[in-house]
Amino acid sequence: MATGTAVDVVMPQMGVSVSEGTITKWLKQAGDQVEADETLLEISTDKVDTEVPSPASGVVTEILVPEGQTVDVGTVLARIGGEAPAAETAAAAPAPPEPQGERPEPDAAPSEPAPAPAAPEPAPAAAQAAPTPAEPDDATTNGKAFVSPVVARIAGEHGVDPSKVPGTGTGGRVTKRDILAFIEGGEQTSITAREPAEAVAAPAPAAPPPPAAPPAPAAPVPAAAPTPATVAGQEQAAPGAGETLEPMSAMRRGIAEHMRRSLDTSAHVTSAIEVDMTNVVGVRGKVKREFEQAYGVNPTYLAFVARATVDTLRDYPYVNGELRDGQIVTRTYVNLGFAVELADGKGLIVPVVKNAETLNLLGMAKGIADIAARARNKQLLPDDVAGGTFTITNPGGYGTFHGTPVISQPQAAILGTYAIVKRPWVITDHDGTDSIAIRSMMNLTLTYDHRLIDGALAGRFLRDLRERLQTWGESDY
Amino acid sequence: MAIARVAEPPGSLQDVREWGLDREDLLQMYRNMLITRGVEERGHILYRQGKIPGSFYTGRGNEASSVAVATAMRPDDVGAPLHRDMGVHITRGVEPWRIFAQYMGRADGPTRGRDGNVHMADVRLGLIAMVSHLPAMLPVAVGAALAFRIREEHRVAIAWTGEGAMARGDAHEGMNFAGVRRLPVVFICDNNQWAYSTPTHLEYAVDHLADRAAAYGFDGVVVDGTDILAVYREAKRAIEKARDGGGPTLIECQTLRMEGHAVHDDAFYVPKELFEQWAARDPLERFRSWLRSNAELADAEEEEIGSHVKRLLNDALQRAEESPQPDPAELLDGVYAAPEDLDTPHHK
Amino acid sequence: MPEMTYLQAISDGLRQEMRRDKRVFVIGEDVGVYGGAFKVTLGFQEEFGSWRVIDAPLSETAIMGGATGAALMGLRPVAEMQFADFVSCAWDHLVTVAAKQRWRVGTPVPIVLRLPSGGGFSGGPFHSQNPESSFAHIPGLKCVCPSTPEDAKGLIISAIEDPSPVLFFEHKHLYRRIKGEVPEERYTVPIGKARIHHEGTDATVVTWGAMVYTAEEASSQVDASIEIVDLRSVMPWDKQAVLDSVRKTSKVLVLHEDTRTGGFGGEIAATIAEEAFEDLDAPVRRIAAPDTPVPFSPALEKAFIPQVDDVVRGLRELVEY
Repeated sequence: MATGTAVDVVMPQMGVSVSEGTITKWLKQAGDQVEADETLLEISTDKVDTEVPSPASGVVTEILVPEGQTVDVGTVLARIGGEAPAAETAAAAPAPPEPQGERPEPDAAPSEPAPAPAAPEPAPAAAQAAPTPAEPDDATTNGKAFVSPVVARIAGEHGVDPSKVPGTGTGGRVTKRDILAFIEGGEQTSITAREPAEAVAAPAPAAPPPPAAPPAPAAPVPAAAPTPATVAGQEQAAPGAGETLEPMSAMRRGIAEHMRRSLDTSAHVTSAIEVDMTNVVGVRGKVKREFEQAYGVNPTYLAFVARATVDTLRDYPYVNGELRDGQIVTRTYVNLGFAVELADGKGLIVPVVKNAETLNLLGMAKGIADIAARARNKQLLPDDVAGGTFTITNPGGYGTFHGTPVISQPQAAILGTYAIVKRPWVITDHDGTDSIAIRSMMNLTLTYDHRLIDGALAGRFLRDLRERLQTWGESDY
Repeated sequence: MAIARVAEPPGSLQDVREWGLDREDLLQMYRNMLITRGVEERGHILYRQGKIPGSFYTGRGNEASSVAVATAMRPDDVGAPLHRDMGVHITRGVEPWRIFAQYMGRADGPTRGRDGNVHMADVRLGLIAMVSHLPAMLPVAVGAALAFRIREEHRVAIAWTGEGAMARGDAHEGMNFAGVRRLPVVFICDNNQWAYSTPTHLEYAVDHLADRAAAYGFDGVVVDGTDILAVYREAKRAIEKARDGGGPTLIECQTLRMEGHAVHDDAFYVPKELFEQWAARDPLERFRSWLRSNAELADAEEEEIGSHVKRLLNDALQRAEESPQPDPAELLDGVYAAPEDLDTPHHK
Repeated sequence: MPEMTYLQAISDGLRQEMRRDKRVFVIGEDVGVYGGAFKVTLGFQEEFGSWRVIDAPLSETAIMGGATGAALMGLRPVAEMQFADFVSCAWDHLVTVAAKQRWRVGTPVPIVLRLPSGGGFSGGPFHSQNPESSFAHIPGLKCVCPSTPEDAKGLIISAIEDPSPVLFFEHKHLYRRIKGEVPEERYTVPIGKARIHHEGTDATVVTWGAMVYTAEEASSQVDASIEIVDLRSVMPWDKQAVLDSVRKTSKVLVLHEDTRTGGFGGEIAATIAEEAFEDLDAPVRRIAAPDTPVPFSPALEKAFIPQVDDVVRGLRELVEY
């Protein structure tokens, strides 16, 4: 076995507490031949003086640290290269890099922190949780400078100004019970409370903000339920007859937490549209062989939809945006997440294709294939599931034609793609003549956070996306 | 006033045969000593090449004692060897490449990179993994013997200690309990004269540590730890006595730690004359010369054994270097045991 | 269902397992002829013989080390410290050998260590401690602290069955004071699962061991609906049950008999802050013993161990916050 590649000679660690060593003497110089295990240099540490045997056979190509110099343990002192046969020690890297800092995270499911709700009157000084807060100093308000985290969250979700809520807690503080009673009592002031937030949202989005939308119709938002009913009271000791119990995996717990939190955070609304994919089917048939033979990748329908989605997102920055700390975040880039089911129904993971706006159809197909393969083979890195700005989920593989997916927090929307089926469809030709044709149809859904995205905006997004897919040309890569 | 019996030196090949060793057994013991020393010498080189992280310990001077005791054990006996007892692992059949992988913290080491040095054991070979708190393994071995006694099995547990570790309470509690219950356990005390830098006169006040056995109600024997045949004979007697219900024995094997406490320690505090004196009693050299005089070991055969061992170690080293680094993603695995972990020879 | 004391329930579970599984044996000081300092193993030696109910010398190190060795050889030792306080003498074997053996070298150590713990009867500094937090901090050890006879039996059986080392903290103050219905047949209570001792909506008390009863009495004196979560296991602990209760009530009091600083309540409070911050309507409160050794005099011990009045005061402040 020849040392084809250079082998590093490193400062060894002579004892657990030793961090550095001094080179007392080089017994070989650059250009000298050295045999494996032959003494190459002498070093001195604060615990012991010793000889360092050469880790490989070959010519000393470089001496990097001169005699008399003190360097840290692990420092490369010299390199050995050349064609001479290596001895049995082989040419392994002497000091393999430490594993990178990430500790394995038990929760594999992507879970970003929920956006902190905007506390209307954050008062840092009051954050100190003393059992007896200071007396209110202003009798005309309800007196509290401090609202608890749960009250702040509920206030944010319902657009309620807590200073308007009568408080019954110590010193007149608004308790959770107070604000829930206030909301249930119909005192909700959501419209007025939201206005300032929208005004604040205007500054500096990278893309032009979408045209002002008419006030959204009352969406079917579930009634205020900030604390979902729990099963805390149930004893989970023994299964009933015919039941079996199994522990939730860390991933399942992560998914459960994320799904629940997402529904608690975003005002979920879903709109659907039917898309004639006949054009795409045709184009795909033409490029499929080339993609597979030249690049080893299958141009899936998902890749087409993803490609068209990215283009459409650039016209609708809010759909690619986020609500963060009471501000609206928009972006010049699209990090596109794809919901991938793990084998055996073990869970769901959302790896992300970064900077999807830079990818053409081929790049998109490759990117999707890559993350899907790594997700299945459990080779995803923590970075691969972080930073998504928009997500596509594709349950259509099972033939479903509609769904209402849950938004991956803290994103603003998620696109669902469904089965392509041939259906009789009325088409209108250039002359305005209607006829029934067999077309390849697919439904798309956009589930969006109604806090940020109005229904009309979502409708226009879907319309434009449909248009892109239906008019896909052969040169549209 | 010495209390323990001092073992006499061994005799001819005929004597040795009576203890149950034929010529092939003797050559195997010699081979195991060579592998033991070779593994530690290669390890020392790897350490100085920066390929072994942490610290590194060897048992030079203790090869005879460790190989002899392990040879005297039966396959279903168990033992808890310490860090100067590499010969036990080798004799029980641990493959050298896995030891090198362990040294380097690789995935194929017996602890998969979770622990280093000789902190390892192959449970299928009847070994219990040591901890750094050395005498802690004495009560554990006593517990293994207790299990054999409860189940009325004819098995013996071997507990290793050094003379340094004999100063701790664990040694007393373990030996006392074993004596009270006459458990089938043999205590091997490798007296290598130095606990790190502390000499024996600062460690104990009796003539021989084996004298303490009398206080626990069992036999103590002092034996020359550089004489593999003498240690074998005493270990064999003690192990079979324990198997027959005769209770524990404490065997003190006298040797010298021929290197520092660990590789970073040049042992400046050990008098040079002492090293010279014990170097003349090198256990490997003594056995080799005995084999040549008493068992017709000739140049050709010696050469063949030597080159076989060298080849074995070279291959082992290469295989170990090919072993991957452990996967940090598995760090959290196995903090708690799972029911399937109980699928071991002992739990079946 | 027969009614049993907490002590009888432990004894019953242990005896059933010894009858069922020949690998199970008991080792400790005075556990044989005398039946144990608290008589948990009374009559066991007559039934199972002196090699399965082993009177050890006064050697906690040999007991723990011996149990570890026997467990490595396939037995299921149930070792007893005469008082939990003496576990300090066995620390090395628990923490250095037993806890790490599975993770280091793949060999499980299925032992149970019974630890009569807790104060309230002038046991003084060396017969009254609750050292569960020290061991909850050691990766590889499980710590269970049952409060009811039914849980005590189910958990001792689970502990014996478990392939990891399990510390079984049995509270001395509950031994004969607490009675309850206990199924006659063999059953297990899962380690790591909490139990809702009492349901409520206004505030949650998270506690375990004898403090469950202190919390119960205190909550009956407060004009509010208090939920009591009995952790049953301190390690692993049922985080989900605690978070579920926090999400429901938004106010939490963590109560334990062990001393305050570094007590396990700190871990619980920190977890709530990390994972349920936005559900909190008041700061998490802790009530625990002060940071001193356990005193001997009844007047001092009363000031040391959290009393019903302390918990009532804490709950009132929390509810009114």
